[in-house]
Amino acid sequence: MYRWEKIDNSKVCLEIEVPSGEVNDALDKAYRKMVKTLSVPGFRKGKVPRKVLESRYGPEIFYNEALEILVDPVYSKAVKECQLEPINRPEMELVQMEKDKPLIFKITVDVKPEVELGEYRGITVKQVKKEITSKDVDRYLNSLREQHGRLVTVEDGELQEKDLAVIDFEGVINGEPFEGGKAENYSLELGSGTLVKGFEEQLLGARKDEQREVKVTFSEDYTKEELAGKEAIFTVLVKEIKRPQFPELNDAFVQELTEEFSTLEEFRADVENKLKESLRNREKMSLESEIIEKVAEEARVDVPEILVERELDNIFGEIEYYLRMQGLSLEQYGRLVEGGLEKLREERREEALKRAKANLVLDAIIKKEAIDVSPEEVEEKIKEVVQNQEVDFAQVKEQFAKQGRLDIMAHEMRYRKVIDLLVENANIVEVEEEDKGDTGGEDVEATAANQEEKEEGVAPEE
Amino acid sequence: MRNPRDIIIEPLVTEKSTAQMEEKKYSFVVDKKANKIEIKKAVEEIFGVKVKDVNTISVKGKPRRVGVHRGYRPSWKKAIVTLHEGSKPIEIYE
Repeated sequence: MYRWEKIDNSKVCLEIEVPSGEVNDALDKAYRKMVKTLSVPGFRKGKVPRKVLESRYGPEIFYNEALEILVDPVYSKAVKECQLEPINRPEMELVQMEKDKPLIFKITVDVKPEVELGEYRGITVKQVKKEITSKDVDRYLNSLREQHGRLVTVEDGELQEKDLAVIDFEGVINGEPFEGGKAENYSLELGSGTLVKGFEEQLLGARKDEQREVKVTFSEDYTKEELAGKEAIFTVLVKEIKRPQFPELNDAFVQELTEEFSTLEEFRADVENKLKESLRNREKMSLESEIIEKVAEEARVDVPEILVERELDNIFGEIEYYLRMQGLSLEQYGRLVEGGLEKLREERREEALKRAKANLVLDAIIKKEAIDVSPEEVEEKIKEVVQNQEVDFAQVKEQFAKQGRLDIMAHEMRYRKVIDLLVENANIVEVEEEDKGDTGGEDVEATAANQEEKEEGVAPEE
Repeated sequence: MRNPRDIIIEPLVTEKSTAQMEEKKYSFVVDKKANKIEIKKAVEEIFGVKVKDVNTISVKGKPRRVGVHRGYRPSWKKAIVTLHEGSKPIEIYE
């Protein structure tokens, strides 16, 4: 028997009553379970009669155990029947629990808030059309060349940008040497900005075995406080100049890179195709996220705090993942950023809110459009994934089922479907690429990211 | 008569004694010097039941040793009281 009422938009209070018969059954079960662990003098373990236990410890000892047996199934049944969608662990308040009497308890739980959907068909979004030009291909090929560059020692020449200089240096402040101001055989890449600002620039044009004096001022917010804002004079000896030399862009280079292609033309065409593909992917993704954002903007929903927090946790999980790839832990990173992790969390709150809202809105649309994924579809998907690997389909499926991955997959596929639906119904306006000045930065970044991706595909590790 | 509570010291709750309750037999630890008639009267008075029979056993204390000192646990008397068929049961677990 259930009664439920909404406390506010996203909180529900359920009052549940369980008949006394079920209560007694549960108490019985609880006794049979607990008797195995309790010992009373005069009785062997597991042989203590229930009456003896009750008179010794009081009848309450079985309540906790019985509650565990009772509450879970009843609660989930009630949730299903009332069509609630809880989003966190429920809080329970016991009203009545006694032998031979019905059990009554109250449960308060956060549920998915109701979403007031706005217009989600025919959303108008702008899409910037970009094309891969031969320039982009050139740029990519050039970056490949640079990566495969070799350092050649220059005996007779001046230091240039991008050269690697092996130097000894010793710095003084007001005539006094200071800590960290001295090094020998230090490899410095000019233009990399590893040393204090101005240091590298002043070395340009130096020759081998030349000694130079370099004057720099530490910035006000330099990491070492005692050095910040001070002026230092470094005596630098250039011991060696190494210059990267890039391979010629020709058939030979292509052959060295990959076995797939033997001529530059072929390789170029392939690169162009791959760049195009990844551009299209990126366009698709940004289009999708834009549509989702718009749809979410149209909808009205109070996002419960707990969902925002959860989304924040997700974001941090992602951050941690990226950090780990760079060999950093989240804690270490927290010490590096200003204000620590708390501030970072605060900064990301808005993004989390947006994401949480988008999820809620998508869920609402899924519900409204009655989008569903059948088990067969999930199976298809697994087959697709499995296809390229030498694993047994049935085995994988069983394993997935055990890990609860099937549900997750179905969930993802529902999202996929609803996003496709939104895109299909969206009104996409193609616009020409805007001023270079505006999108330029983004463009370069995107291309760089793209190249990283591509590398794995084009030039396998040797 | 002595106070019946001085004769019946405590109910004996063990696996065996609990099983015997099915046959209306209740076990008690009783005063060592008490005889069956005294026990019968004491049980009838305390619990308000009708006693059919009383069996007693003197339980000898078990030998115990603490370091070099040897000794015995105290001996005690156990009484198994059988109630009349019509009598109401004794509620030991109160």
